[in-house]
Amino acid sequence: MTESADLVKRLPNDIGGLTAGPISKVDHELLPWEKRCHALADVLDFHKIINTEEKRRGVESLGTEMINALSYYERWIVAFANILFQKGLFTPEQLANKIAEIESRPTIA
Amino acid sequence: MEHQHGHDQQHDHDHPHAEITHDLRPGYYEIMETAVRELLIEKRMIGADEIRRQIEVLDSRTPALGARVIARAWVDPDFKARLLADGRKACEQEFGISFYDDTGLIVLENTDRVHNLIVCTLCSCYPRPILGLPPDWYKLKPYRSRAISEPRAVLAEFGTVLPDDVEVRVSDSTAMVRYLVLPLRPEGTENYSEEQLAALVTRDTMIGVVPATKAGAIQ
Repeated sequence: MTESADLVKRLPNDIGGLTAGPISKVDHELLPWEKRCHALADVLDFHKIINTEEKRRGVESLGTEMINALSYYERWIVAFANILFQKGLFTPEQLANKIAEIESRPTIA
Repeated sequence: MEHQHGHDQQHDHDHPHAEITHDLRPGYYEIMETAVRELLIEKRMIGADEIRRQIEVLDSRTPALGARVIARAWVDPDFKARLLADGRKACEQEFGISFYDDTGLIVLENTDRVHNLIVCTLCSCYPRPILGLPPDWYKLKPYRSRAISEPRAVLAEFGTVLPDDVEVRVSDSTAMVRYLVLPLRPEGTENYSEEQLAALVTRDTMIGVVPATKAGAIQ
């Protein structure tokens, strides 16, 4: 079987049963923005804007390369932005403008 | 991007980032989080104080909550029966633990013959209302990949070696169904109070990677 066929048969999240290395018992205290990101996920779920399965699928649809390159909450926030674009709740341009405005602030909370 | 860190091919984990200092400008993803949140608030899709309130909820959930539930199940057979019948209802009604999501909770009882282990192979589903957020290793590829195919080897990496005649059952969590392990009550704890018992119940015992032991008491 070719390597590309493996990509078709196993989406990025579908890793159950694969071989993998030893379990490194790592953990870390969430950074403030990571905790805000987690709370945002919950609030989006409460409002039925993005539910848990949509979030998981949104991360998976980032594709293997981005999934491997981004950390856990980096993947979440990019997935949220994509899902919100797809649902038409705001546009990529609106997000880009907001990001530029935040970057121009003298101090960022 | 100040939060930039090296990424290699194997990178699939949340590693500790550099310590935050006040002069550090936020990184790309942190700014994106602020932007998404502010847009949602401006468009009145979420309330301005909802994130802060949810952070308080998240901070209030730790494995100590789950430990109280387990200790009660050890001392009260009727409660244990209700917990095993409907985990969410028992936690909500008898411990006032609010489930801030739509998830169900199935409590899996360890016995002399059966040892349970929980995992989320697809992502990181976890009984968050009761245990708080999962540790990083639970969200990483080695645990997610191997827990279902070689659970005994995984358990051994946590120092847990079970007799061959103990059946190992692995339960794979979903967006809607979460699991919690009810560990075996350690021998020699007949005279322990419920509070003393709760101190023996760690996060990892409720994931199922280690047994509860008298030596494992939380100080």
